[in-house]
Amino acid sequence: MSGIAVPERDGTPRPPLSARVRHYLPFATGGLQSLLQYRSTFVTTGVTAAAGAAVTVFLWRAVYAGSPPGGGPGGFTSEGITTYLLMAQVLQVLHANRVDDEVAAEVYRGDVAVMLVRPVSYPVVRFFACLPVVAANAVLVGVPVLALFALIVPLTVPRPVDVVLFLVSTALSVLLAFLVNLLTGMTGFVTTNTWGVRMVKQSVVAFFAGQLVPLALMPAPLAAVASALPFRGMVDGPLTLLLGRYDGVAGAADVLARQTGWAAGLALLSAVLWRASLKRLEVLGG
Amino acid sequence: MTRTVWRHLRLAFFLGGVGLHRLSAYRVDFVLGAGAFLVRVGLQTAVVGLVFRQVPAVGGWTYHEVLFLLGFSLLPRGLDHLFTDQLWELGRKLVQRGEFHRYLVRPVNPLFSLLSERFFHPDGLGELAVGAVLVGWSGNALHLRLTPLQWAVVPLLVLCGALIHTSVKLLFASLSFWTVTSLPSMYAASQVSEFAAYPLDVYHPSLRVLLTWVLPFAFTSYVPCVYLLTGATGLVVWLPPVTAGALVLALTVWRRGVNAYEMTGS
Repeated sequence: MSGIAVPERDGTPRPPLSARVRHYLPFATGGLQSLLQYRSTFVTTGVTAAAGAAVTVFLWRAVYAGSPPGGGPGGFTSEGITTYLLMAQVLQVLHANRVDDEVAAEVYRGDVAVMLVRPVSYPVVRFFACLPVVAANAVLVGVPVLALFALIVPLTVPRPVDVVLFLVSTALSVLLAFLVNLLTGMTGFVTTNTWGVRMVKQSVVAFFAGQLVPLALMPAPLAAVASALPFRGMVDGPLTLLLGRYDGVAGAADVLARQTGWAAGLALLSAVLWRASLKRLEVLGG
Repeated sequence: MTRTVWRHLRLAFFLGGVGLHRLSAYRVDFVLGAGAFLVRVGLQTAVVGLVFRQVPAVGGWTYHEVLFLLGFSLLPRGLDHLFTDQLWELGRKLVQRGEFHRYLVRPVNPLFSLLSERFFHPDGLGELAVGAVLVGWSGNALHLRLTPLQWAVVPLLVLCGALIHTSVKLLFASLSFWTVTSLPSMYAASQVSEFAAYPLDVYHPSLRVLLTWVLPFAFTSYVPCVYLLTGATGLVVWLPPVTAGALVLALTVWRRGVNAYEMTGS
């Protein structure tokens, strides 16, 4: 992506990829350190996630309470829909990387100027800084919430091959979530009320990703809109693979290909918009 | 006594006017905030609609009854939002940055002085309007006929619900006097209040107990709605004591917190 002092502009050859990655590793460890300063955040993230999961899980379990054992609406069993909604919430925890918050705040306060004088690309720095947040959320919030619900409600056990596919797809969904949040944070270049923008993003993503209602249960026109949006790859995609709701190898490949395509498209879009935004950035000197 | 009350009312009116003037300075921000809220409620309504495409009733509640509940839950929330939004600032940064002392040197009650900075928060008006429309529309579809007594207590139900929201917010915001910032716990509490938008009957029993007697959000929407829709008075008689209890507890914690506050001295 973009940066203001990328080596190739000087005519010197690009360093190998491993060397370039090494420049960004300190940002990842730094992100982890600042995160561990505020350990109580994990408790509140956990409470929030458990509450969010409980609302959808119990609402939909009430719907499936009287459905036949072979499967109710959308081909889900009661356990199937419970697993879907619970894992949807866990994925949402992995996607809560605070990138939108931080980018918007740094643009608003002008701190972004400090980052721009460093010989690194700001969006890539943000990506590396958010990785430990995602990992810590997965281990310290996702696993406990999953364990808690496994004690209360029956869940389905997926096939091992589906778990592997799910993990690959989850990695792609984390990348998608980063790009969506980066683009949301960049609205800070245009408006100061990024709170409103972030709230719209959160509701729209949750709805069209299939976090509250699986795409299979939406009426056809709405499902078509959701399929055409990149958010589908954030929740519905990975969970289609986890629950084995795809049609052979081609079906699984289709889900992963769509995710990859959207990740590439959004990365390109944010690179272009980032360059354009820097041109109109004005920061008061100190 | 009456003079103090009168003075505070006049001040509230004046400061609320100042807040509304601020709106005209940040018009785009206001439109964005209001639009964001409409999108959120719209999608929430869509989720309820999608649930009821599958079944005629959930936990004994029909489609229009759930919409009535969803709409009603916005009324106390909006009323509370209108007057106490500044508490978020207390939890977020006022203690952390040592800015709280400025509310202690003014010749009015510190809590009033704090809240008055954001009286008549416009987002609250949006919640009240959308909630009223949802309640009116779904009540009409249900052919709901309220008795004169029910009409008379509706404002009280909304007021008590708002005071419960305020108490919970005040309690968690006041924790910041000891923990420096209490934003995460305030956020978690407000997330729990989202349960109140759906019928309590669908939840796990332990969750029902939590929402009724620990963080009493059930009293802000579920309990009043059961009374208005069926006339059953089993739980609604508990609303005044629960409201009073929550308020006393929150004000006690707030007072102790103010006494424990130490300025940064810089």
